Amino acid sequence: MSREQLHEAEDEAGGMLTTLRRMVLYTLRRGAALLITVTVGVYLTIVIANMGGHVDEIRKAQIRERVGARLMADEQVQSMSAAERRELMERHVEIESRRQGLDRPFVVRSFLYLRNAMTLNLGRAENLTSDSGSRRVRLILLERLPATLLLFAPAQMLVFFVSIFAALYLSRRYGSWLDRLVVTLTPTSTAPAWFYGIFLILIFARLLGVLPFGGMVATPPPEDTLPYVLSVAKHMILPVGAMFIGGIFISVYYWRTFFLIHAREDYVEMARAKGLSSGQIERRYILRPTLPTILTSFALSVITLWMGSIVLEIVFRWPGLGRMLFKAIGMFDTPVIVGSVVIYAYLLAATVFVLDVVYAIIDPRVRAGQKEGGR
Amino acid sequence: MRTDRLLELFLPMIVILALVAIPNRAAGEHTGAWVDEVVISEEEDESRAVDRLRAGKLDLYGTGVTDRDIYDRVREADELQFEMSYGNTVELTFNPVGPTFGDGGELNPFSVPEIREAMNWLVDREHIASEIYEGLAVPRYLPIKTVFPDYARLAGTVSRLEVRYQHDPRKAEKVIEEQMRELGANLQDGQWHYEGEPVELTFLIRLDDERREVGDYVANKLEDVGFEVLRDYRTAEEASAIWIGSDPERGKWHLYTGAWVDTVVSRDEGTIFNSFFTPRGRPDMLWQSYEPAEEFDEIADRLGRRDYETLEERRELMSEALELAMRDSVRIWLVDQRAIWPRRADIEVAADLAGGVSGSWLWPLTLRVKDKTGGQIQIGVPGILTEPWNPVAGSNWIFDTMAMRATADFATLPDPFTGLRWPQRVDKAEVEVREGLPVTKTHDWVELDFTPSIEVPGDAWIGWDHQQQRFITVDEEYPDGLEARTRTVIHYDDDLFERKWHDGSGLSLADGLVAFILSFERADEDSPLYDEADAASFESFLRDFRGIRITEEDPLAVEVYSDQIQKDAEMIAAGRAGYLFPSFGTSAAPWHMLAIGMRAEEDEELAFSKGKADQLEVEHTSYISGPSLKILDGYREECAEDHYVPFEDAVEEYVDNDEVRARYENLSEWREEMGHYWVGPGPFYVEEVHTREGVLELQKFEDYTDSSEKWLRFVEPSVPEIDVGAENRRVPIGERIEFEIEIMDEDNPYPADDIESVRYLVFDGEDRLVIQGDAEHVEDNRWRVILEGEATGELEPGSNQLRVAVTSLKVAIPAFETYRFISVP
Repeated sequence: MSREQLHEAEDEAGGMLTTLRRMVLYTLRRGAALLITVTVGVYLTIVIANMGGHVDEIRKAQIRERVGARLMADEQVQSMSAAERRELMERHVEIESRRQGLDRPFVVRSFLYLRNAMTLNLGRAENLTSDSGSRRVRLILLERLPATLLLFAPAQMLVFFVSIFAALYLSRRYGSWLDRLVVTLTPTSTAPAWFYGIFLILIFARLLGVLPFGGMVATPPPEDTLPYVLSVAKHMILPVGAMFIGGIFISVYYWRTFFLIHAREDYVEMARAKGLSSGQIERRYILRPTLPTILTSFALSVITLWMGSIVLEIVFRWPGLGRMLFKAIGMFDTPVIVGSVVIYAYLLAATVFVLDVVYAIIDPRVRAGQKEGGR
Repeated sequence: MRTDRLLELFLPMIVILALVAIPNRAAGEHTGAWVDEVVISEEEDESRAVDRLRAGKLDLYGTGVTDRDIYDRVREADELQFEMSYGNTVELTFNPVGPTFGDGGELNPFSVPEIREAMNWLVDREHIASEIYEGLAVPRYLPIKTVFPDYARLAGTVSRLEVRYQHDPRKAEKVIEEQMRELGANLQDGQWHYEGEPVELTFLIRLDDERREVGDYVANKLEDVGFEVLRDYRTAEEASAIWIGSDPERGKWHLYTGAWVDTVVSRDEGTIFNSFFTPRGRPDMLWQSYEPAEEFDEIADRLGRRDYETLEERRELMSEALELAMRDSVRIWLVDQRAIWPRRADIEVAADLAGGVSGSWLWPLTLRVKDKTGGQIQIGVPGILTEPWNPVAGSNWIFDTMAMRATADFATLPDPFTGLRWPQRVDKAEVEVREGLPVTKTHDWVELDFTPSIEVPGDAWIGWDHQQQRFITVDEEYPDGLEARTRTVIHYDDDLFERKWHDGSGLSLADGLVAFILSFERADEDSPLYDEADAASFESFLRDFRGIRITEEDPLAVEVYSDQIQKDAEMIAAGRAGYLFPSFGTSAAPWHMLAIGMRAEEDEELAFSKGKADQLEVEHTSYISGPSLKILDGYREECAEDHYVPFEDAVEEYVDNDEVRARYENLSEWREEMGHYWVGPGPFYVEEVHTREGVLELQKFEDYTDSSEKWLRFVEPSVPEIDVGAENRRVPIGERIEFEIEIMDEDNPYPADDIESVRYLVFDGEDRLVIQGDAEHVEDNRWRVILEGEATGELEPGSNQLRVAVTSLKVAIPAFETYRFISVP
């Protein structure tokens, strides 16, 4: 190997090392930033869910109210002397307060919640139980996850893929009646899916009586697998339909606009001038360069599955995470609220982190650690 | 033809006919539940529930609906009907601290009893009931509920006070003005001022139901009489932190739109004065600020302790207490709310007057499609399987307990219309009460006697020794002897021990004994089953408990000594009948089912109560679903291998080895077949548990052999209907007049034996009570009121009212009818 070659190799190795070092530093910085963001976000959730500690007062009062009402209805307690009754009530209040952790100040508890959350030790719920009767937050969330995924995954996938292909189709037919129709209908997406859900229930369940009012399966649930699956599918039609109607037009409009912008790039015009077919242009010159954006959007929409949808699940009596979270908020069950949020936060952070790293590696336009310009 | 040849020919025919005839006769005596299956599923939305009812997807909605629009929709739908209950009461709670609050010196007008009393005249309860609740409520003026027995028993006082506290805004304004001036306030431009500042009232208004409108209405009325009102709308949680959680001295609120719920018909409302008007009611700061008048305080205390010797004395005390409570008015009552329980028109069910369907104990025994047997009935409820099910300290959510009751059986059951207890597994009861205690009886299944003193026999059990695993006798605990206020002998049914648990095991005395001992163990700090929350409650039981002994084993007879008394002997007997019956509040469990949970708790793998589960950081025991089941599987195997019998030394004489093996085998098969461990003796068993879908399937238990007709008489309440008439509506003053009263039950004459009392009250033109008394029974369903010349001589010329109040033994709701007549000179 000549000296020049050696220098070149050394330079190349040095360059790779520098790039690697930059990548590692970048990764660490991004990781640290995301960790801090998640920590702050989770702690804020803890503080907000507890109204800065005011919830303790509410819960203490609720305990007193419940214990008092229970004892007032007890014949044997009624025949006690006032002092005995008072002592009994105070004991019950103390036991229940201790059970709910209210014997420790909120500030102390808030950091315990945070520590548990960050270490993914989801612990025990304070009031809620899982569907099967467990107090473990992990089970409370996991038992509801399949139902949420079952409903939201098909709906979101349907909206996502239909809108991508419809958008591509419309981007080729800019200004056509169909394109104008989609643009006209786009504002309908400002109404949430549950809004359409109510109308769909009114039409298909109440008036026509052809589809169920809600729930996940017929009552009682069919014993055999096939009828059960068919029953679940029937119960999914309206909520999936509501989500589809609620999301499709804005999604198509968004992607159609996105593709239209890309379709006017010089290299697309060049391809067109070269006489390539529409399909080839779409695949090679529009879809391929926009793939990272599509993937990012897809990844983020997959994460949102985790949270479900509170109102939609309530409207359709769907036993998913959203309804459970609503219940947890109503009952001030901090471990469940925090458990739900921290998993979402970690999923989001992990996705963003992975996408950042992947971008840094594959996208020539992204120059990790580059001093000039950067991202 | 020879006789034996004839027999040969006809015998097969006779046998066939007999075989055909026997099932036919059996079919005539339908036993157990009327329906084959009940499916309970979640339906949170009331409006959608009605849609599903109309569409035939539901048969019954198991929660009380108070929304007027939904009520209208149900009434308009031909295919729907409803039951009605009267559980909720709405009131105004006042902050009585003052005249000024601690910190800022802000004036609190409600510190003055006269101003609080004047609020009774300021608000128009009729308006609230008819306009805000649109008929789904009845005006309530007094602390006693309008549909409970005391209301009818005190008809005279009730009528007098209701007339006295009729809506009279001018009177209210006058009283308020006088009292405000005495407080040093003055009226400037129609606005009350105190020390130069407008008097502002902070009104805590609940915004989650009709109380929002009630609050606005009352706030408007207060503004009309010169107060500035700050309307502080709050949810239940936010409001409780203020009205019950804060010191009333801090003046965070002046008045609050409160509400209370009764889930059962209360037979004795004598304790309400203590509970709602004196510091003895609750240790909360608000209650500690109550300062009832000395006389009122004393009467409330006496009524609370049942310190009276006769029912007449009680009636007088109650009347006085009602008057004084109205003068005190730390809270004023507004309406008794009605709730409807929608169902399809062809469904029949016994609903409780207070607790509706979900609070009814008879629903599993009466639910059916009218005049039909079998089939499936679907019930919707806002939530099911909310918390783990275990009989000892499991879920107490109302819809869970509703379902649990269908799987259980009880020694006695409450009458849904009167609250009195009827025997279910009891043949009869003898109640002996110390002389001078005000106890009475209504039904024949109870014998009531009075005696100068009751000595507890030395061999009666009064406690449990955890270390030695044996009962402690009265002789050991009280060598000098022990007396009790009551002695009750419960004679259980002859066939009690022929009855079956769902898993096929036979019910035995050991089941009741284990349940009984378990309650002592859970209150004993040395026991691994100790539970501090339970211990606190158990103390109140021990306080009155004076001993128990088994006097006969089969048929079972148990003698119970206790200091706890109730007004009705039936209630005393019912309470004692549960001591050795294997039921736990709303469920029942055999000893082998309890055993596996007890072993799991002893090893700190599971815990019966939520509190202990949290303390040990283990699962709250569930016999029906979840991770508990696998743990219980292990303990079931262990118990079967060890032939484990809980508290063996104490119960061994009632259990034999074969039975132990058979019971665990039955339980194992049950688990395999049903997938859970929930075993009861009730008319239904749990067939399927769908936790994710929120669906519970209950199947008819064929070995539940009671006649299905047994409780059917409680499907429809027999509220008396009164018709009053007289020959002439014009009565010359000083002359005799007769009024005829006819009492009907819809189209049929009301049986005279079921009528408790027919009282009459005569009010003059100024609504003053002039004459009162009991009507005279003529024949069958006819009564007569005779006002002699001396009585009519007390009337002034003008319009008068004869008010007739009828109380029935069959239903707590009293019936009233008013007849107007004119007295002329």
